[in-house]
Amino acid sequence: MKTITCDQFHHFLYSIREDFEIVGPVILHDGTLSLGRLTAEPLALFAGRIPFRFTSLFFPHSERLFAMSDEYRFDKSGSSAKPLLVVGWRAEDLEALEFIDEFFRTGFRDDVFCDRRQSSVVIGVSGRCGVNGEFCRISEGKCDMELIYDGKHFIMAEYTENGRFLSEKIVWGEETDSLEALLQESRALRTPEREILQTASQLLMRNQVDDDFWAEIADRCIQCTSCTNVCPTCTCFDVYDMRLKRKIERYRMWDSCQMSGFMREASGHNPLASQSDRTRRRIRHKLVDDLHRWGRMTCFLCGRCDDVCPTGIGMKAVAAEIVERFG
Amino acid sequence: MKKTLTTCPFCATGCMYYLQSDHDKFVGIEPSTVHSIAKGHPCVKGWNAFQFIHHPDRLTTPLIRKNGVLEAAGWEEALDLVVHTLPSLQARYGHDSIMFFSSARTTNEENYLFMKLARAVFKTNNVDHCARLCHSSSVLGLAATFGSGAMSNSISCVDEADTFFVIGSNTTENHPQIGARILQSVKRGAKLIVADSRTIRLAKAATLHLRHRNGSDVALINGMMHVIIRDGLENREFIESRTQNYEQLKNTVLRYPPSIVAEITGLTPQEIIDAAHLYATSPAAMIIYSVGITQHTHGVDNVRSLANLAMLTGHVGRPGTGVNPLRGQNNVQGACDMGALPNVFSGYQKVADEAVRQKFVNEWRVADLPAHAGLPMTRALNAAERGEIKGLYIVGEDPVISDPDQGHVRNALQQLDFLVVQDIFLTATAEYADVVLPAACFAEKDGTFTSTERRIQRVRKAALPIGGARADWEIFCEIASRAGYKYMHYNAPSEIMDEIARVTPIYGGISYSRIDQIGLQWPCLDEHHPGTPILHVGRFVGGMGCFCPAEYRPPAETPDAEYPFILTTGRSYFHYHTGSMTRRTRLLEREENRSYVEINPVDAHRLGIRDRDFVMVATRRGEIVMSARMTKDITPGVLFITFHFEESPGNLLTNNALDPESHIPEYKVCAARITRKP
Amino acid sequence: MVSCFEKKQYSERGNCDCFHFGVFMDSRIGHAAYEPAIYSIHSISDLTPHEKLFRIEIPDAVDFRHEPGQFVQLSVWGWGEAPISISNSPTRKGYLEFAIRHAGSLTGALHQMRPGSKIGLRGPFGNGFDVNRLRSQNLLLIAGGCGLAPLRSLIQYCEDCRDEFMDIRILYGAKTPHDLLYKSDLAAWMESETFDCRIIVDFVAPNHGYSGKIGLLPELIPPLEVEAENTTAVLVGPPMMYPFVVEALRKKGLDDERIMVSLERHMKCGIGKCGHCAIDHFSCCIDGPVFLLRDLQGTEWAG
Repeated sequence: MKTITCDQFHHFLYSIREDFEIVGPVILHDGTLSLGRLTAEPLALFAGRIPFRFTSLFFPHSERLFAMSDEYRFDKSGSSAKPLLVVGWRAEDLEALEFIDEFFRTGFRDDVFCDRRQSSVVIGVSGRCGVNGEFCRISEGKCDMELIYDGKHFIMAEYTENGRFLSEKIVWGEETDSLEALLQESRALRTPEREILQTASQLLMRNQVDDDFWAEIADRCIQCTSCTNVCPTCTCFDVYDMRLKRKIERYRMWDSCQMSGFMREASGHNPLASQSDRTRRRIRHKLVDDLHRWGRMTCFLCGRCDDVCPTGIGMKAVAAEIVERFG
Repeated sequence: MKKTLTTCPFCATGCMYYLQSDHDKFVGIEPSTVHSIAKGHPCVKGWNAFQFIHHPDRLTTPLIRKNGVLEAAGWEEALDLVVHTLPSLQARYGHDSIMFFSSARTTNEENYLFMKLARAVFKTNNVDHCARLCHSSSVLGLAATFGSGAMSNSISCVDEADTFFVIGSNTTENHPQIGARILQSVKRGAKLIVADSRTIRLAKAATLHLRHRNGSDVALINGMMHVIIRDGLENREFIESRTQNYEQLKNTVLRYPPSIVAEITGLTPQEIIDAAHLYATSPAAMIIYSVGITQHTHGVDNVRSLANLAMLTGHVGRPGTGVNPLRGQNNVQGACDMGALPNVFSGYQKVADEAVRQKFVNEWRVADLPAHAGLPMTRALNAAERGEIKGLYIVGEDPVISDPDQGHVRNALQQLDFLVVQDIFLTATAEYADVVLPAACFAEKDGTFTSTERRIQRVRKAALPIGGARADWEIFCEIASRAGYKYMHYNAPSEIMDEIARVTPIYGGISYSRIDQIGLQWPCLDEHHPGTPILHVGRFVGGMGCFCPAEYRPPAETPDAEYPFILTTGRSYFHYHTGSMTRRTRLLEREENRSYVEINPVDAHRLGIRDRDFVMVATRRGEIVMSARMTKDITPGVLFITFHFEESPGNLLTNNALDPESHIPEYKVCAARITRKP
Repeated sequence: MVSCFEKKQYSERGNCDCFHFGVFMDSRIGHAAYEPAIYSIHSISDLTPHEKLFRIEIPDAVDFRHEPGQFVQLSVWGWGEAPISISNSPTRKGYLEFAIRHAGSLTGALHQMRPGSKIGLRGPFGNGFDVNRLRSQNLLLIAGGCGLAPLRSLIQYCEDCRDEFMDIRILYGAKTPHDLLYKSDLAAWMESETFDCRIIVDFVAPNHGYSGKIGLLPELIPPLEVEAENTTAVLVGPPMMYPFVVEALRKKGLDDERIMVSLERHMKCGIGKCGHCAIDHFSCCIDGPVFLLRDLQGTEWAG
């Protein structure tokens, strides 16, 4: 395995700027950590996890599907010329990405997502890269290349052709054999939260969580939709038209199952009519339904919804409450 | 992808987030996670605030009425017409025959310039804005008791309170971040008293839910004070050291024992006693109210009574206490601060004060400024109906939808000789205009908004204005210069703020460089002043606090045989005011796309009304058709409607009875009847 | 509960059975998954005061194949897209028919259109009625209200391939006689020896002249003689109807393997991505809209 320092890695990024659009963690105007283009400032690779839905890079808040002129001619927005190179995602982020890749690819291919995703290269960051040097789990795959921080250097692990292609371009670095120890440490990380989630999932599957519980949680939901908007595995969207002067444009944008209009039909029938139905769905969908359909729970415990929920009913909080009450 | 940090254009909570734009197209919102209020979670309106910006309905060119029809025109022609017509009306009918409606939606800088335009250029104090319709009662009531009409504490104080008394505020719907914070505090163990006839979301988490009769607030609060004094729970030390006029208060509330108050309010005596005890015995109790308190013919009395209650128990001037009016619009606090009011310049400096006038005469380099107070907007519409106001210049306001008694408003607008409307969409009001000027929206200009907690925050230009639209401040400067006034020229809004700081003591220390990342809370007296999170610490802004006892007066209109229901109005969580923005926002419009009336199932069954039936709701002003929404959350005998929907406008029904002091209309109570539409 | 394995099969079947119009075939082009093909409305006729029948001609050059019970995503330009059931049988080629109620803004705009107006179509989507399962069976084809629109595609199919099935009974309920869809079809089916067609309406205005049965749809079931072991029922209708009809059928001895339902949900994309039509782990648009009741056990399908 080769190592590279953070500075060297940035030198490398600057050297390939012509070929890639490089995106990674940046600090915005007021100190908010976000995803942004590489500028003269180094990327904030040690600033913690990006609080926003990082998958918005491939599945943005709103996007135009097409425009159609009044002569019924279609105009599709072209994709950007350069492939994307994304740096700085954590193991749980990569798991989420892996899931939505599968989701958008399986069955009917969602070409809007897939085209954008296809040409991108993803570099994960793990190891001792936490805000205070704490250990972040190593994904051991699920990206093109992973930079595993040992406290001084990044150890480069390439997992795909793209990863090896990039790695070959990196001329710096020394060989190291310290990866094995870091892997041991990563695999030994305890994840009590995952156990709670699994227990909650089983309780839900066995229908041991009563309606009163959901009503209680629902009373505390102010329907801000922040949870579904920051969740990296929430993929629901709405499609709508804009009527412009001589054309119409069709857009899709993030939707939220926490709104009563989400499933309401023109007839007025609404399978998710009450907030307690909707709260129940928000949790069950990730912990039970996706387990049935996709073979795994689709909450990867990134904690974004818990961080943004203004009333403390994010996924981890609700799962913990389920286990405490019904476990 | 560009990310521009800006302040939300909806309610006055003052969340900041990043507007995402791609080649001048707005594509999304990304929350600020470090902002002290937003904390990474805008409400549903905030999350969708990017959508209306480039809506195809946006006004992109000035319009001028020709042969009765609004036609596209050039800026030259439109501005010339304004600059020519307003003075000619003044020449004919007097200086005060024209009126300026400023806007709580626009920036501080723009409000300041608009009031400067009215006063320095057109020599009239006839300038007002929609605070008249929401918190004029607070400004008066709190100024009389505390010496300052603003929210006394900060939003972060919600985390420190032990008890909340929320009255006349559906906080989770209208100020979601504050409502959510209250819910969080309650979960941590704080007590919550909610006084509201509807079972709002907060009521479900309340320790005590008082469903008092709509409009009986003064009686309820007097009753609580009666109990506090009777049971010796008043804060003697605070009363003696910080207040005056206590004896008078005592004498008044003596006449409001729980038994009598119970009769007026429909509560049980015990509920009143419990509320009084809970509030008075708490270490830090916070009063939170909104327009459910102010929009009454006794709105000022309501506010005074709340201030009395806070002073009686010493719950003022400390973290987690205070009397906290939640402002409704993004910059209604700022519009007041900037003096878009008929009787004060910026910083609540009275126009009647010779020295103050002289200061502005010098700064603005004019010969003189009018000394008598102008007309409040509610009175101005009445005056227009009588033909006394001939010209009206409305910025960012849609009185046809937002003012009470729509028939009266339409009639008043029709009587005008000349109406200028400056807005981002062609509103119902703009349809009466002689000239329509297309304005830039919040995302297309620089400036500041002042949030409900007196925090002055930046609004940033993320894209050029759409089509031919221009920023309001640029339009005002252009009008002033065309009218021959030389001293309204600025290169950027930051220069306007510098001028504001020079003449406005409470904004004395504000400059764009200081509020670049996070805003400051006024009073901020000079460039080193850190701002003021809590007012009245150790000393009231007005010196001594002054008890102003109020007597209970019933609402102007009460139910009778012909109109047996109480009709009350409010906002839906998903829509904002006249709906010009939220109804052009996909998910919000999908969520609620038509007017509804909430009715208790008991009433509904009696009248043969089923859920989602179309019903006719009528008052003495008119009638509208809407769909019925059956809910136990509303008290029998009461109907609740919103006013967002132009197709069936709630304000066709409301009563234009005004508070004698604040001139605020009684939106919150009138008599109505409801019938199933065959 | 359906296992994951069976589940996968559902979505894959949805995929390969579908055939797409024109450009949609080439998934490599830009936004092709969401780009409709443009068609002109050939003709429009009134079915009821609230429902109209729209007919689209499909040129021979376009290889369009569908199953009874499938739907298309229909675009009304400027108003968006809505899932609309195909109302005619695949055995009747060269055209598509859609019976559409004026229910919201999109369908409202559609009702304003004239022959020649351009609409967009994507599809067909979803799993239709599983004809293999219905073959050699006695059929109970039950529709309530608008549910006759998708069911008509199956009824026509049965008419055209009569030999494949045993006794076919049609039970149809509507609010009032005005609201009966396909009145001429109904008259023909009632006349015909092919079917035993029974109609019921909830309510009749005085002096209407309607002489048929009045009552609720489930009331048609108890008087029937049903051979449970070789009968399959197919249900399409408003959500509130299902529990009552299902109960009546169970009383006749039909188990959940012999009851097929078509569910109404608000599909936005038709291809299992947008999430609007989720029923627990199912996506109604690719796993349904037609389900065997057995497969829905344990889900919130009746919500």
